[in-house]
Amino acid sequence: MAAAAAGSLRRAGWRLWRGRAGLRCQLYAPQQGFRASAALRRASEEQRKEPPSPSSQQQFDPQQADPRPEQEAWSPGPSYTGQDGQESQDYESEEQLQHRILTAALEFVPEHGWTAEAIAEGAKTLGLSAAAAGMFHSDGSELILHFVSQCNSKLSDLLEEEQKLVQLGEAEKKPTNQFLRDAVEARLRMVIPYIEKWPQAVSILLLPHNIPSSLNLLTSMIDDIWHYAGDQSTDFNWYTRRAVLTGIYNTTELVMMQDTSPDFEDTWRFLENRVADAMNMSSAAQQVQSTGKALAQGLMGAAVTITNLTGLNQRR
Amino acid sequence: MAAAGALAPALRCSLGRHRALSRAAGRRGRWPFLAEGASLRPCSTRAALDGINKAVVDRIIRVDHAGEYGANRIYAGQMAVLGRSAAGPLIQQMWNQEKDHLRKFNELMIAYRVRPTVLLPFWNVAGFILGAGSSLLGKKGAMACTVAVEESISDHYNNQIRTLMEEDPEKYKELMQIIKQCRDDELEHHDIGLEHDAERFVFSCFCSLCAQK
Repeated sequence: MAAAAAGSLRRAGWRLWRGRAGLRCQLYAPQQGFRASAALRRASEEQRKEPPSPSSQQQFDPQQADPRPEQEAWSPGPSYTGQDGQESQDYESEEQLQHRILTAALEFVPEHGWTAEAIAEGAKTLGLSAAAAGMFHSDGSELILHFVSQCNSKLSDLLEEEQKLVQLGEAEKKPTNQFLRDAVEARLRMVIPYIEKWPQAVSILLLPHNIPSSLNLLTSMIDDIWHYAGDQSTDFNWYTRRAVLTGIYNTTELVMMQDTSPDFEDTWRFLENRVADAMNMSSAAQQVQSTGKALAQGLMGAAVTITNLTGLNQRR
Repeated sequence: MAAAGALAPALRCSLGRHRALSRAAGRRGRWPFLAEGASLRPCSTRAALDGINKAVVDRIIRVDHAGEYGANRIYAGQMAVLGRSAAGPLIQQMWNQEKDHLRKFNELMIAYRVRPTVLLPFWNVAGFILGAGSSLLGKKGAMACTVAVEESISDHYNNQIRTLMEEDPEKYKELMQIIKQCRDDELEHHDIGLEHDAERFVFSCFCSLCAQK
C-alpha cells in the first residue's frame, strides 16, 4: 500500500517535473532545452520502468525553423501503466498540445476566420475547454503561422518524394521553369480551402511582431524549392535566384486572392508568364555579361594596336 | 566514422553519379576522405544534416568560404601586377592552392546547404585591390601582404578547430580535417612569405617611418 502510494507520488512528481521542463523548453532557447534534457536523462535513470511511447514521437514540431532532435527526443510522453491500472493517459508537452489544438482549429477557419474563436472551437472538438484559446495570442497569428509552417512541411515532403522518384528513374527530371511552376502551384493550392479568409491572414502576417517569423518561414520555403530544383550556386546568384522566386511567389499569391476564374486558371497562367520572364531575364543577363567581356577584349586589342602604331610602347 | 555513415545514404541515393564519381577520383588528390562528398547531389542531404549544430557549422563554412574567396582575389591582384616578374611562379603556385581550398569549401557549402555571404561582391573588389595595391610596392610588399593575411587566417582556423573540438570531435571529424588541412597550407604560405624577405620589408618600412619622425 505504502509502496503503491510512493510509486504514484514518484510518477506524479516525474510528470510535474517533465511538465515544467516542457514549458521551459518551449519558452527558452534550445540550449536550455539541451540542459533540461540532460537533467531529464539523469532523472530517467532513476525511472527505469518507463516504456517509451513511439506514437507521440511522431509529432514533430514543424514551426521551429531548425529541428531540435534533443528536445524532441525526450518530450514525448510515455504511457503509464500504473499499479492500479488507471493512470494510462499520455502525457505530452505543451507544444504538442498547442499543435493539436491549432490543427483542429483549422477546420473552423472558413467560418470564423483566423481568430481566437476558431481556436476555441478547435479546442472544444478535442474535449478541452474554450479557455484553452487563452494560451494563444488574441489576433490568431499563431494559428496562421502554424498553418504556413504545416504547408511548408507538406511542400518539402512532396518535393522530396518527387526527387526520390526521379532518382529511381521512375520520373523524368523536369526543366527548371517547369519545376518552379509546379512547386509554387502546389504550395499555393494548399491555401485554396481558406482562400476566403486568406487576405486577412496575409495582413496579420505583415504585423510588425509577426514579420520575423513569417519572413523566416517564407525564406526557408523558397530555399527549399530552389534546393530541390537543383540550385548549387555558391556566389551572389544564390541571392538573386531566391529574391526572384520570392517576388514571383508573392505576386502570384496576390493574384490568386483576387482570381475568380474556374480552378484559378488565370493565376496559373500568370505564374507561367512570370517564371518565363525570370528565365528570360537570366539568359539576357548572361548575354550582357558575355557581350561585355567580348567588348572589353576588343578595346584592349585596339589599345595595344594603337600603342604599337604610335610607338608609345617603345622605350627610348 | 559518423560523418561517413551520414554521407553513405546520401551517396547511395545519388544513382547515376558514377561518371561524376570517376571524375572526382581524379580530383581526389589531397582530399581522400571527401572523395564521395565531391559528388554529393542535393538528394537527401538531410542525412548529412541530422544531429549537427547547424548554426555553428553554417557560420564556420560561410566565413571560411568568404575567406578563401577573398584570398583568391588577393592572389589574383598580386598576379595581375607581378605575374610576369620573378615572383610570378611562386605566387601562381600559392594561388593554385587557394583555388583548391575554394573548391573544397564550395562543395561543403552545397553539402551542408549553407548560404554564401552577402558581402561576396565587396570581397571580390576589396581583395583584388589589396593584392594589386600591395604588389605595386614590389615583391616584398606582396610577400608582406601574404604574411599578414595568412597569419590572421590561420589564427581564425585555429579558433574554429577549437570550437568544433568543444562541440563534438567525433561528429565533426571530417569538417575538422578539412579545416586543419587548409590551416596547414596557409601556414605554409605564411612561411614562404617570410622566406622571401617580407620581414625585412616590414622592418625597413618601420625604420623609414621612425627616421622620418
